[in-house]
Amino acid sequence: MDRTMAEKILSDKHGADVSTGDIVIVPVDFVFSHDGTMPLAIQQMEAGLSTRKVYDPYKVAGVCDHASPSPSEKASNVHIFMRKFAKENKMPYFFENGDGICHQIVVEKFAAPGKIIIGGDSHTCTHGALGAFATGMGSTDIAAIMAYGKTWLRVPESFKIEVTGTPPKHVYSKDVMLHIIGEITADGATHMSMEFLGDAVDAMSVESRLTMSNMAIEAGAVTGLCQADSKVRAFLESHKRGQDYRPLAPDKNATYADEIIVEAEQMEPMVAYPHRVDNVAPVTQFEGVDVDQVCIGSCTNGRMEDMRIAAQILKGKKVAENTRLVVYPASRDILIHAMEEEFIKTMAEAGAAICPPGCGFCIGRTVALGDGEVALSTQNRNFKGRMGNDNAEIYLCSPATAAVSAITGKITDPRDVVI
Amino acid sequence: MKRKGKILRIFPKDTNTDEIIAGKYKYDELDLEKLAVHTFKSIDPSFYADASKAKNPLIVAATNFGCGSSREQAPQVLKTCGISCIIAESFAHIFYRNCFNIGLPLIECKDMIKKVAQGDVVVVDFDLGVIRNITKKEEYCFKPIPRFMQELLEAGGIMPYLRSHGGYRD
Repeated sequence: MDRTMAEKILSDKHGADVSTGDIVIVPVDFVFSHDGTMPLAIQQMEAGLSTRKVYDPYKVAGVCDHASPSPSEKASNVHIFMRKFAKENKMPYFFENGDGICHQIVVEKFAAPGKIIIGGDSHTCTHGALGAFATGMGSTDIAAIMAYGKTWLRVPESFKIEVTGTPPKHVYSKDVMLHIIGEITADGATHMSMEFLGDAVDAMSVESRLTMSNMAIEAGAVTGLCQADSKVRAFLESHKRGQDYRPLAPDKNATYADEIIVEAEQMEPMVAYPHRVDNVAPVTQFEGVDVDQVCIGSCTNGRMEDMRIAAQILKGKKVAENTRLVVYPASRDILIHAMEEEFIKTMAEAGAAICPPGCGFCIGRTVALGDGEVALSTQNRNFKGRMGNDNAEIYLCSPATAAVSAITGKITDPRDVVI
Repeated sequence: MKRKGKILRIFPKDTNTDEIIAGKYKYDELDLEKLAVHTFKSIDPSFYADASKAKNPLIVAATNFGCGSSREQAPQVLKTCGISCIIAESFAHIFYRNCFNIGLPLIECKDMIKKVAQGDVVVVDFDLGVIRNITKKEEYCFKPIPRFMQELLEAGGIMPYLRSHGGYRD
């Protein structure tokens, strides 16, 4: 039987062939959660299973990223609660304020093809870009996995997303993904595995693929898988984990519940406008909208590639007078590399506030919008209230569109700028 | 298993977890009773007060209810508000798991939303796969819940299920 990538991984883990719709019990290779979801998971373990002991301390991680660095006494106490749990379990992987966003840390240190990775955060689908079956779950699921090292999964149907051709200049994987979500809508892939294929995906860097997989949840998908190819191997080798590599690709005649073909050469820079991720339009449609805050970073677009694009555009320029620019590199490693390459210096000279790696602006926890403000951000979600204020508006875009707009103070098409 | 209650609210498609419980509350507060006060605050400020007064309230929604974040606080606050069952045209997958895991039943029913009104009294029969609308004297069918999910509900959620089975049955 020809299988999709999701079916291949789950069959392998289950130890027998599985097909869509089956409910299977599978071992979990790595589980993590953060300060938004881990405290409740610990409580659920204690209350529900009368234990605080994790199944394998090397396969469980906690990350302080959402309220980090802690903005309040209550958040600090939540962090203390998490640290105590990690310490008593002798968990070697506990990530502190400023270490980075859980997804980026897991990408750098743990994710690999064929693994099952579960995170207490909906954007855990990010790791599909490395060929891992990765999905977000709630705290009770995380609690059960921390205790037993297993979980139940419904084998998802798959949605084949074939991206072909070469995108024009200043069109990035973020634009392609916004376009796809706009096309298939916020519930277009609900309960499914999105499988990103085609020569345009093959040509993309692993970092660009991570942006696409990260946003699979915005179309409702369980996970967003890319093939594990030589680029994934090189990525793992560059993180000293070459031994974790194994190839992954769908069989030729695998069965898909749905398919779309996206022609990258037809693409243009896109935005998602308030308050839905599937409200997608070309940047040109919103050009000239005044922007109070521009945000570059997050688990969607806070990687080196994104820092490089933004710094190249901002070099020698100044952020507009009525606009603020905040930059959140996705991890400590990225912050350090972006400092070494002087991207951070360039952005700071342009007027950016450089913030410690974390989720600060995206969920409005350590940076919040004021009443009536408009934000343009490289994050993944523009729901009402997402950046801490119900009376604010959020537009989503690529790092290039964000950087160009920071200079003009208005939503601006990056193709208007020559670099 | 049967649940009888009054429809407290009807929500539109793609109602997300940020709307159910905003992130700005959940990072500071571990006490669900205190957190539940903020349920639906940005889109329906009287929700908590109305839910507290109602007897066995149910909520009805269009497609993709619970999309967005993995935050389990979303189903938890709904349960804490006393919501006994949620009926929607479809649910987002993480929210769907979370509800069964905490023993809050969900029903996927395609055409019901067009026929019911806020305040209707309904009886949900999980075994027969039928929702009886007492107010309107109508019946709506739904696809039975998969066996494993029923076991979770019968046990009262994944925690009591795992406790009684001593883990997962392979």
